[in-house]
Amino acid sequence: MIKPDDKPLRYNDGGNVHMDFHGATNTTIDFIIKNFGIEAMDDIFARVGRDVYADIRGHLMAGNATELVKHWRHFFDREGADYAIDVREDEVVLTVNHCPAYHHVKKIAPKVSDHFCDQTTKTNEAMAEGGPFAIATEITGPGSCRQIIRKRP
Amino acid sequence: MIPSDHFTKFYNEVFKFLETKGNEVLHAYWLEISRNQERHTMEAFRADGLRGMRDYWDHIRIEENCDLDLELHEDRLELNMNACPSLRKVMDNDANPMSRYCDHCAGWIGPIMDKLGYHLVYDVIDRQEPRCKMQIFKDRDQAREAEGQAKLLMDWPGKSDGNKAK
Repeated sequence: MIKPDDKPLRYNDGGNVHMDFHGATNTTIDFIIKNFGIEAMDDIFARVGRDVYADIRGHLMAGNATELVKHWRHFFDREGADYAIDVREDEVVLTVNHCPAYHHVKKIAPKVSDHFCDQTTKTNEAMAEGGPFAIATEITGPGSCRQIIRKRP
Repeated sequence: MIPSDHFTKFYNEVFKFLETKGNEVLHAYWLEISRNQERHTMEAFRADGLRGMRDYWDHIRIEENCDLDLELHEDRLELNMNACPSLRKVMDNDANPMSRYCDHCAGWIGPIMDKLGYHLVYDVIDRQEPRCKMQIFKDRDQAREAEGQAKLLMDWPGKSDGNKAK
């Protein structure tokens, strides 16, 4: 499921990081759910997973999880996350001990949305939908989770 | 986690959804973002005026990797965005850009300036090009004069002095 390569990511952002964007994501989630319901929010996240991350999704559809693992490493490193990735024969496990997005929002906003982590769960589901892999997202605590890519039975 | 670097791509998807619900809904969302941004800006803008605004956008210049020039004058703050990373990222995207993506900037900044009694003139120039010009005036008549020179003048929720976005 992992085929290492040295090609750059489709979105290979560099430079400084503006963490306050996570605060705007938090505001947006509550706004959309309050006005249009959770299905609308889920649908927007699904579009992010399918359309924005079409390249990662394309690799997953072809049975290659490499791009998603590279994406995790690149962006969690950029945001200073405490995380580990365990590549096994039949699954890849990302363990996030300290999510930079969650903890930054906790610092700058009055409240972290109850649905803040849906951005991960729903985007993961959409990236993998209809392909050979499933991505399970388990929220293990406030600002921590486990994300598991494994072949569907 | 949708990375901070990809927030603008997420934002773009939100705009596309809201646009299908109508202009009022899009404006309501910008007002919500504006209220969120008040937490990061209002105190400094109120206390330090144009200089506080210059400091805020200088911080944004660095954190968001913007190519922009800031000029602080006695009567106004002028920001010339030469290369906007926000629109650039939305255009370098496997999802389609929302056609009026640029409008959100005036959409959140305008209401804050209205509350503070400053006068925003936001010229997007061309929605397909990642550059724009923002001016914040103390004096309303000077702002009116500057509006006349704008190529693509932006509107925002609550703007009441007659200039409508094109």
